[in-house]
Amino acid sequence: MKLFDKLAGTTACAALMFSALPSFAEGELNILTWEGYADPSFIEPFEAATGCSVSATYVGSNDDFAPKLAAGGGVFDLVSPSIDSTAPLIAAGFVQPIDTARIDEWNSIYEKFRTSDGINQDGEVYGVPYAWGAIAFMYRADKFDTPPTTLDALWDPALEGRISLWDDKSALYVAARANGDMDIYNLTDEQIASAQEKLIAQRPLVRKYWSSAGELVDLYKSGEVWISNTWAGYQSALLAEEGIEVVEFIPEENAEGWMDSFMIVSGTPNEECAYQFLNMAVSEVGQCGVANVNGYSVANPEAARRCMSEEQFAALHQDDPEYLDSLLLWENLGDRLGDYTNAWNAVKAQ
Amino acid sequence: MTAGVVKRARLRQFLVLSPPLLWTVLFMFVPYAILVVYSFWRAQFPLAVPDFQFGNYIEIFTDPQYLNVLLRTAKIAGLVSLLSLLLAFPYAYFLVFKVRKPGLRLTLYMAVVAPLWVSYLLRAYTWKTILGTEGLLNSFLMSTGILSEPSSVFLYNQTAMIITLTYVFIPFMVMPIYAALEKIPPSLIEASGDLGEGALATLAKITIPLAMPGIVAGFTMTFCLSFGDFISPILVGGPDGLMIANVIAAQFGAALNWPLGSALALVMLVIVLGIITASDRFERLGQARLS
Repeated sequence: MKLFDKLAGTTACAALMFSALPSFAEGELNILTWEGYADPSFIEPFEAATGCSVSATYVGSNDDFAPKLAAGGGVFDLVSPSIDSTAPLIAAGFVQPIDTARIDEWNSIYEKFRTSDGINQDGEVYGVPYAWGAIAFMYRADKFDTPPTTLDALWDPALEGRISLWDDKSALYVAARANGDMDIYNLTDEQIASAQEKLIAQRPLVRKYWSSAGELVDLYKSGEVWISNTWAGYQSALLAEEGIEVVEFIPEENAEGWMDSFMIVSGTPNEECAYQFLNMAVSEVGQCGVANVNGYSVANPEAARRCMSEEQFAALHQDDPEYLDSLLLWENLGDRLGDYTNAWNAVKAQ
Repeated sequence: MTAGVVKRARLRQFLVLSPPLLWTVLFMFVPYAILVVYSFWRAQFPLAVPDFQFGNYIEIFTDPQYLNVLLRTAKIAGLVSLLSLLLAFPYAYFLVFKVRKPGLRLTLYMAVVAPLWVSYLLRAYTWKTILGTEGLLNSFLMSTGILSEPSSVFLYNQTAMIITLTYVFIPFMVMPIYAALEKIPPSLIEASGDLGEGALATLAKITIPLAMPGIVAGFTMTFCLSFGDFISPILVGGPDGLMIANVIAAQFGAALNWPLGSALALVMLVIVLGIITASDRFERLGQARLS
């Protein structure tokens, strides 16, 4: 029976370990978020001021949020999905309503974001808008005599092997606009099919579909790619640090816009710390923090005005609500998600 | 023996076996059972609803994209295995029959096996820096004057994937072939020579048939490992590099279609199990013929 004793001992040990865990997690926020959203430059002061310690796990894409939360385990307290990926989290009950009265600067946040469908459901608010930007396009300044202004450049045979596109359903949005279908979040089956055709026609020209910010930077750095779409402000700044000059542009066919909000995971034991974090995030500390680290525009223009220079404020379009309104802000595709992702997979499977 | 003693012996046997049994049940059978159950469910916003229907399987066999990707994956895995075999067999043969010093033999053997201790990700990534437009290969070809300007044909295509996977999985081909060749008694080869057979005939009639179990094992391993790979398409594959494992990953992530992903995973599992069974049969057949 020695083995049994040993087994029983191990089990008891494991049980002790697990029961001891929650007491260590007291006041510790686990955040599932994008790189830069928990940068030490503003997280360390937050930890010092509140006593809430923060540990961040980074996602590579919006596709990571729902599966990680669906796997359960009560690991995360806060998540920061983009506006098109919030609906499944709300519908599945993974995130809980937010008491906006506890967010001091709630009313300073762009109304467009506060009232957006992505974070509002049945009269409850589920997210605190944090940062936003465009899915702009960019090209290497030294490779183009005449700057591209339309999406045609991404279908230009002269650029064969120099084109890259984000490995995301967003590729269908791009192709649909190139086809002249501007209602990109409500495409009909025929429009999705022709966007798929358009992407299949483009594929021989594509060097590589990029799947992470770092990969796109590498592709430009190693001379593989000259033109692509991009998360405006982010990769171009990383490339500038590497001494590679790229120019961002919004094509005549327009660009998508994205917006990330922080959401509280249902049943978090660290709600107090979570609210403190949300307040920090939409204050000058968090807003200029993300603007400086990632080069993104921010959700609270009043905080931005207090902590940004005139130039930065203008460069991030914080002074220009029309720019924000002009972007095709991402929407959740609901039951149509399968049709979009299926079409995109079919392009790559061809 | 009394019944009590038998019972106690059984209990002891059960207790000795129980940890591996528990492990197998908990981490193999339960997950597979969950996968099977999920594969009959229906994807519905936000995630999936329980159901019993064959829609996911029907979709896999009617939508040409899945067959396309399966065929492409099999093609790449087949080419990787073939290339590995063509490289690994002469190498193992050289080690076993030509290298006389045991120390040198061990060094050369370890040279192939040692990379297994380096992260697979790192080894695959290295090929990016070798094959890229401004990579080592292009720099070399340009400095020797073979190319006048860098070529982009080496990276981000299926060839790059095959090269990378061959490099990564070749130890799994060398090891079993080496083991099989080492077991061949030199007397058999000498006898073949004494009876007047040339070196090539000896290779074809004696060495290769006797090494067949190692070849089949190596081929099966490299094929199955390449078949399930999803890193090389991401790192060095081009726009036409999607493999079946990437499609499965996309179903669990981007598409939020776990039922279809589960069905795809099971189809892949059946294919791999089929290959392993076939190779097992083939191996036994060879052994029966030789004896």
